Amino acid sequence: MLLHNVQEDCNNLQQHEVTYFLRLKNYYSMKKIGLFYGAGIATAAIVAKIQEAFGDTQVDRIPVETARGVDFEAYDNLIMGVSTWFDGELPAHWDEIVPELKTLNLHKKKVAIFGLGDQQNYPDNFVDAIGILARVVEVQGAELAGQTSSESYHFQQSQAIRDNNFLGLALDVDNQSDKTDERIRNWVEQLKREFL
Amino acid sequence: MKTLDIYNTDKDILQKWYHLLTLGRAIDEKAPMHQRQSLGWSFHAPYAGHDGIQLAIGQTFVRGQDFLFPYYRDMLTALSAGMTAEEIILNGISKATDLTSGGRHMSNHFSKIEWHIENISSAVGTQAMHAVGVARAMAYYNHTGVAITSIGEATVSEGYVYEAINGASTEKLPVIFVIQDNGYGISVPKKDQTANRKVAENFSGFKNLKIIYCNGKDVFDSMNAMAEARAHAIETGSPVIVHANCVRIGSHSNSDNQSLYRDEYELSYVKAADPLLKFRRMLLRYNRFTEEELLAIEAEVKKELSIANRNAIMAPDPDPSTVLDFVLPEPYLPAKYRDGTHNEAGEKTNLVTAINETLKSEFRHNPDTFLWGQDVANRDKGGVFNVTKGLQKEFGSKRVFNAPIAEDFIVGSANGMCRFDPKIHIVIEGAEFADYFWPAVEQYVECTHEYWRSNGQFTPNITLRLASGGYIGGGLYHSQNVEGALSTLPGARIVYPSFADDAAGLLRTAMRSKGFTLFLEPKALYNAVEAATVVPDDFEVPFGKARIRRTGDDATLITYGNTTHLCLKVAERLAKENIGNIEVIDIRSLIPLDKQTLFESVKKTGKVIVVHEDKVFSGFGAELAATIGTEMFRYLDAPIQRVGSTFTPVGFHPVFEQAILPNEERIYKAAKELLEY
Ligand SMILES: Cc1cc2nc3c(=O)[nH]c(=O)nc-3n(C[C@H](O)[C@H](O)[C@H](O)COP(=O)(O)O)c2cc1C
Ligand SMILES: Cc1ncc(C[n+]2csc(CCOP(=O)(O)OP(=O)(O)O)c2C)c(N)n1
Repeated sequence: MLLHNVQEDCNNLQQHEVTYFLRLKNYYSMKKIGLFYGAGIATAAIVAKIQEAFGDTQVDRIPVETARGVDFEAYDNLIMGVSTWFDGELPAHWDEIVPELKTLNLHKKKVAIFGLGDQQNYPDNFVDAIGILARVVEVQGAELAGQTSSESYHFQQSQAIRDNNFLGLALDVDNQSDKTDERIRNWVEQLKREFL
Repeated sequence: MKTLDIYNTDKDILQKWYHLLTLGRAIDEKAPMHQRQSLGWSFHAPYAGHDGIQLAIGQTFVRGQDFLFPYYRDMLTALSAGMTAEEIILNGISKATDLTSGGRHMSNHFSKIEWHIENISSAVGTQAMHAVGVARAMAYYNHTGVAITSIGEATVSEGYVYEAINGASTEKLPVIFVIQDNGYGISVPKKDQTANRKVAENFSGFKNLKIIYCNGKDVFDSMNAMAEARAHAIETGSPVIVHANCVRIGSHSNSDNQSLYRDEYELSYVKAADPLLKFRRMLLRYNRFTEEELLAIEAEVKKELSIANRNAIMAPDPDPSTVLDFVLPEPYLPAKYRDGTHNEAGEKTNLVTAINETLKSEFRHNPDTFLWGQDVANRDKGGVFNVTKGLQKEFGSKRVFNAPIAEDFIVGSANGMCRFDPKIHIVIEGAEFADYFWPAVEQYVECTHEYWRSNGQFTPNITLRLASGGYIGGGLYHSQNVEGALSTLPGARIVYPSFADDAAGLLRTAMRSKGFTLFLEPKALYNAVEAATVVPDDFEVPFGKARIRRTGDDATLITYGNTTHLCLKVAERLAKENIGNIEVIDIRSLIPLDKQTLFESVKKTGKVIVVHEDKVFSGFGAELAATIGTEMFRYLDAPIQRVGSTFTPVGFHPVFEQAILPNEERIYKAAKELLEY
C-alpha cells in the first residue's frame, strides 16, 4: 500500500488534513485482531457487538475452549473476553488455558480485556477475572490496552482495578445493560487508537 | 515448596488422581441405585463439585501423623486418604463390617479410626472442636502432625465453629479448617448465613491464623493450597483456614430436591463447572494423557467398583442383638474397697478438700491427666470454689489451665484431645456452675455417643465436673440441677456424691476408668460439716454401688446429693419420735444404678420415698419410682412418694428458695404420711 509514504506527504498538508491522514494510516496499518472469548452466554452476545463496532477491521473470533498457544501468538493485537464466576474466578475454560498462557511470549503484543460481571451481587469481586487475566498476560510481556475509568460503577473491591481504572472494559449486563452499547462503542474507538 | 501444575506433575501422580476422581464419582453416582434397590445408603450427600479440594485433603493427609475429621459430604476425601471403594460402600449400605460403626451410624459418614480418619457426628461442625482438641495433644506431646477438619460454609454460622477457630488461634494449634463452600446450606443461599460471600473473611482479624483461598473445583489449586496449609501448620504450629470455592452439582442429599429452589440456568452452570471434566480436559489439552489412556483408566475403575460393590453387598448385616454393646466401657474396678465403703477412723475432711486432694493424687498417679475449665487456675485461685486450688502450681500450666468462656469448647476440645492416645484422661470443669452448662450440651451428647457410634472403637476418657444444686441463695442461675435432663442420654455415667469420702472415691474411680463420667458436686456441701468425713488416702467407690447411710425396716428413703443430709436428719427425728425406722440409701451413682441394693431394701420395708433436690416432675426420681413400681410392685405396701423441687425455677429471695427446694419439713411430712399409710 502507498500509505507508508503518507507521513512524508503530511509535511505538505494542512493540520486538519494531517490528522485525517494519520487516522487513515492507523486504520489501514492496524494488524489483525484476535478476539479470544469463553463460552458464557452473555459474553457471546458482547463478542458479536464488539466485532460489529470494529466495522471492517478484521477481527478473528477464537473460542478459548479450542484455542492453543500458537493462536495467541499469531496476533499482535488481542482482545480477551472473560466473565467472572463464583466469587472472583476465571470461568473454567479460561482457567484451563492459563498454564499455557504462562508459557507464551507476548512481548510487543497488546492485549485488551473485557469482562462481564455483576457489581450488585458480587461487589467484592466485581470483574475480578479482568485483573487475573491482565496479570497473567503482563507477566508474559504483553502491554495492556483498553483501560477504562471505573467511574460509573458501584462496587467494593475488584482485582481489575489499578490506579482507579479498570485494566480493561467492565460490562455489567445484569445491572447496567443500558450502558453496555455505549461502553462498547467507546472502548472499540479507544482500541482503534491504541492498537497501532 | 514446589507448586504443582499440569506441566510439572508426574504422570503417575496425575494417573492416581484421575483414578481417584473417577472412582469417587462412580461411587457417588452409584449410591442412589443402592437406595432404589433398598440396599441402603438412605442418606447420601453427593460431593460432585467439591472434587478438587476433597482429592487434595485426602492426598495431603499423612497417615500416622495427622488426624482427619471429614464431614458427611467428604466421600472423595476419605477415598483419597486411602480408604478403599469397598470400605466406602460398606458404610454406605450400613454393613456389620462398616469401619465407621458397623451400621450404627448414618450412611455417608466415612471413617477409619485405625488411621485416624475419625468418626464424626451428623451435627454439623461439631468435629471442629475435636480437631482443636487433638491438636492440643499434638502440641503437648511434641508430635509432628496436623488435625484436618472440613465443613461446609453454612456450618460456619454455628457458634461452636467460631469457638473452635478462636481456640486454635488462641492456643496456636496446628489445625487446618477446610471450608468447602458450595454456596448452599441445603436450600439456604450463603447470603442468608453471613455478610461476606467468603465466610473465611469473617476470621481475617484472628491472630495466628492463616487464611488460604483456593478454587476447590481445581485439582492443582486445591493441592497447592492444602500443601501450603499443612506446611504452614507444621512449621509454625498454628492454624490455617483453607476456603475452597466449590459448586454443588447435585441436590443437598437424596432427600432434597434442588429443582425447587435452583433454576435451569443455575443447574446448567454448576454442571458446566464440573471439576472432574475440567481435569480430564486439561489432561488432554496438555497432552499428558491420550483419550485412550483415559478410557482405559475409566474402564479399570468400572471393574474395580463392580468388584467392591459385589463384596460389600455380600458382607454381613449388623446383628440387632448387639444393640446394648458399647453403651459404656467397662469401668475401673476398685480392688480394695469393693462396695465403696470403709471403716477408717481419724480426722474428717471437707468435701471440697477431698475432691481437691483426690485430683492431686490422681494427677500424680497418671502423668497423662489434664484439667481445664473457666477460672480454674490463676496463681492462688483455683476455681470459684477452690476445688482446683494448687493444681496448676504443682502440675504446671500445660496440664492445668483456664479455658475461654466457651462451655461447648471446654467439652468438645476434651473429646478431641483424648483421641490422641487412650492413656490420656481429662478432667473438665464443664462450666463455672452447672447452670451454665447448657451451651455445652451438644458436645455432651457427642461424648455420650462416641463409644456406641464407633462400635466400641473410641471412648472419650473424660471426667466432667459440675458444681451443682442450690441452697446457697443463688437464684435461677446458681441453683440448677442438671441430672434430670442429662440422665436420659445413654453413654455417660452420672454420679452425685453427698459425702467427702464418696466424692473422693467416685472421683478416683472416674479418673481411672475408660469412658465418660459426669461428676456432680453439691456445691452447698463443699465446706459443710455434715458432709465432711474421714477419707482414706486410696479410697475408691465403684460405679453403681449405692451406700446405705442409715439402716431401718419401716420405709426406704432413696436420695442423693444435697438432700441426703436432710433425709438423714428426718430419719433420726422420726426414729426419735418413735414414728418409724427409716432406711436411708444414698444412691451415689445414678447411672449405673444399684437396683439390687434398692430392691433389697424395698423387699424389707415395703414402703418407698424418693427425695432429691431436682424437680419432682420429670426429675430422676421419676425413673427411680417407675423402676421400683414396675419391678417391685408386689413388695409395695404403699404408693411411692416423691419429694423434690416445685416445677419452677429456683427464685432468688430466700422465701422463694425455701418454698421451692425440698427441706426437712417437707420430707418429714411425706415420710410420716408414708409410715402411717
Ligand atoms: C454463580 C455466579 C457467580 C458470579 N460471580 C461473579 C463475581 O464474582 N464477580 C462478578 O463481577 N460477577 C459475577 N457473576 C456475574 C457474571 O459474571 C455475569 O452474570 C456475567 O454476565 C456472566 O457472563 P457469561 O454468561 O458470559 O459467563 C457471577 C454469576 C454467577 C451466576
Ligand atoms: C447442628 C445441625 N443443624 C442442622 C443440621 C441439618 N443440616 C444438615 S446439612 C445442613 C447444611 C449444611 O450446609 P453446609 O455447611 O454449607 O454444607 P454442605 O451440606 O453444603 O456441604 C444442615 C442445616 C445438622 N445436621 N446439624
